[in-house]
Amino acid sequence: MATQSFKTYFGRNSRQGLWYVPLLITVVGAVILTVYTDDFASPQNLSNLLSQAMPLIIVAIGQMIVIVIGGMDLSVGAIISLTTALLALDAPAFVLVPAVFAITALIGLVNGYSIVKLNVHPIIATLSVQFIVVGFARILRPVAGGSVPDIVVSCVAGTVFGIPLTVFWAVIVLLLGWKLIHGSRYGLHLFAIGGGVSSGQEDAAHNFGISDQRNVILAYVCSALFAALAGFYIAGRISSGDPGVGETFALDSVTAVAIGGTQLSGGIGSLHGTLFGAILMVLLSNGMNLANLSAFLQGAIKGAILLLVVSLQSRKKMGL
Amino acid sequence: MSNLIEMSRITKAFGANVAVRDVSLELKSGSVHALMGENGAGKSTLMKILAGVHRPDSGEIYKDGEAVSFESPRHALDFGISTVFQELSLLPNLTIAENMFLGREPVNAIGAIDYRLMHKGTQKALGDLGLSLEPSTLVSELTIAERQFVEIAHGIKADAKIFILDEPTAALNAADVEILNEQIRRLKADGKAIVYISHRMDEIFEICDTVTVMKDGVHIATRPLSELTPESLIAMMVGRELETLFPEAGRAGDSALLEFTDFKLTQDSEPLSFTIKAGEIVALAGLEGQGQREIVRSAIGQFVPYRGTISVRNQTVTLPVAESSGVRSLKALGVGFVPEDRKEEGLLLSLSVSENIELGIHSSRSAILPAQRLRDTVKQTMESLGIKVAGPTAPVASLSGGNQQKVLLGRYLALDIDVLIIEEPTRGVDIGAKAEIYRLLRNLADSGKAILVLSRETVELIGLCDRINVVHDRTIVAEMPAKNASEHKILEAALRQYETENEL
Repeated sequence: MATQSFKTYFGRNSRQGLWYVPLLITVVGAVILTVYTDDFASPQNLSNLLSQAMPLIIVAIGQMIVIVIGGMDLSVGAIISLTTALLALDAPAFVLVPAVFAITALIGLVNGYSIVKLNVHPIIATLSVQFIVVGFARILRPVAGGSVPDIVVSCVAGTVFGIPLTVFWAVIVLLLGWKLIHGSRYGLHLFAIGGGVSSGQEDAAHNFGISDQRNVILAYVCSALFAALAGFYIAGRISSGDPGVGETFALDSVTAVAIGGTQLSGGIGSLHGTLFGAILMVLLSNGMNLANLSAFLQGAIKGAILLLVVSLQSRKKMGL
Repeated sequence: MSNLIEMSRITKAFGANVAVRDVSLELKSGSVHALMGENGAGKSTLMKILAGVHRPDSGEIYKDGEAVSFESPRHALDFGISTVFQELSLLPNLTIAENMFLGREPVNAIGAIDYRLMHKGTQKALGDLGLSLEPSTLVSELTIAERQFVEIAHGIKADAKIFILDEPTAALNAADVEILNEQIRRLKADGKAIVYISHRMDEIFEICDTVTVMKDGVHIATRPLSELTPESLIAMMVGRELETLFPEAGRAGDSALLEFTDFKLTQDSEPLSFTIKAGEIVALAGLEGQGQREIVRSAIGQFVPYRGTISVRNQTVTLPVAESSGVRSLKALGVGFVPEDRKEEGLLLSLSVSENIELGIHSSRSAILPAQRLRDTVKQTMESLGIKVAGPTAPVASLSGGNQQKVLLGRYLALDIDVLIIEEPTRGVDIGAKAEIYRLLRNLADSGKAILVLSRETVELIGLCDRINVVHDRTIVAEMPAKNASEHKILEAALRQYETENEL
């Protein structure tokens, strides 16, 4: 990728989208918060910030994978809730952890099959699956409680060589996401499929010999697995099961992806943009909390920023 | 010469519509096989079966005598069948190199895509076609002709034995077509088999050896081209003698309808001016990218010229005009604009024929007025244009290229405009429909309208128009009556070896 030209990354028509916009806003916001508050730049707050941002970063990477192909996954929040509920069941970790990933992969398959084989619109398909999954999570654990295996907690909390484990999570998840989205043939094929969808030639990728159906299904499996990973992380943080913990993640992840410069019509976007989009969202909450803004006003400001950032990248300007 | 591939008694239906019925085709190595027929004759469907896009309902494909069947385009490519599809199917958000290698990207030691190798291969393939485009350029930044070349490069780069070229030259001008022809001759010399689909007669006779004619999904005949003349070939295609492709020239009126005066495309280009009278069809000809398109697009506000005025029936507009209101203000003056890319810029493909025709009328009325029922207008328009369709409610996307173009013409016909500006009137349109569209345009002119035509097909401009303005280097370098014009003269003028004064 080093051979990809500068222009491919920064040009107006870049396939990466306007990922530097959330980065700029994040940097400006961080500078303002450092100057005007006492606590923001403290290692404690920064570490907190990263662990607050971590689940959203993980989910958003999965969400981005399906958005790049012109889809959307609204079941990710429910998958997070289900994951924590499953992990808080009374069973040994070596059963629970593989079971979680197997079940969530299966949910991803259901999403993918409904969209590809049954021709259901992605929003409707994943919205339906979301209701089903939330239902099961509530059946397993009607209210928050229980406890997750110790090993799950120790995978998330604590430090190694004085470095918080969250940092390792960030590195591993980003490497994984990078490899999937920007460093593999699979990633390029996702962009190809999305480019076909957004330019009105759905068959184009198929005609190039890409097995689009399998790739789309796989994208929804990836998205479900990333959500499960986020659920695992949250379970380790709260060390219990909570069927409501994932509620906000479906829309928050879509928002983070959109702020990160990924086009909802598909074919344009970047992992780094998604990362900065997620960080910006968490930073906003963090900063507005430090500034004692009311929760209602916070929501309004988030919405305004989403509108502002996304309006910078209308499809025409991106050359599609 | 051996049969590389044989398609035997292929039948394919889409629902109740049989697109290909019992057609056989043999391809020999070292030979260029033309496949001809009107749009909807089943050529593209037959080739999509060979390319693995569709599976036949019945029939067999033999390669070197062995029966094969293709599950997917990928599979057909593995068998050595490479296709340049009719529809521009490149992905705009991918770079040239990524499009060239899509589906078979080389990977390096760590499993990442090897961009260095891809860029090298791309540069070479484009170089063979005489192009020097940066492989990392996104396809969305290319012109239509450049995209077509990339598509061709993609198709003929493959290490295949059989090449299907489905209307590869629709967006190319004569000079570009010659570059492609050289490549086809090279492939032929290498012993490859080539299927060539085109509506341009001159190309067919220049590079093809054999022709198979299809009509309504049925095989009509397969003949060596040396036995045929363009007239006999057209007769086979349309099933009747087409007396003349082009209508008779009309007579220009006296009043000037459309005038470009003191027009400068860019600050350092020579000023130009021209006039079109009522009853006249006038062309802007020239090599690709010399500014013809920009001159036309200046009038609708999609290009900002340095200065100039256009007048329609003595009402004058000073350029540049705003992009957002260009087409509308022009329409208010009675000027219709039919863009080159009718699918992207002209029609609303998912809407019906009637809605597409009504659109022009609706858009010139106030938005809050209730939409009129325009059934009679639509019906009249469809009849006068001879649009072949199940009914006015059929979606435009289901129509053939020729009928789509007629719908677009119908939109302006229904509006009763005075001046029509039309780009590439017959792009992707079959020969029968071409003749009809030429006749329609001539009838329009005869009824006192002025028409400005832009086309890459010089033959078309000579046959259709009354006068030809040759554009070179952003200005008009020659003007000639079409009846004195020839491809050679236009090319010479375009290359500035031609002195207008000597001729006139």
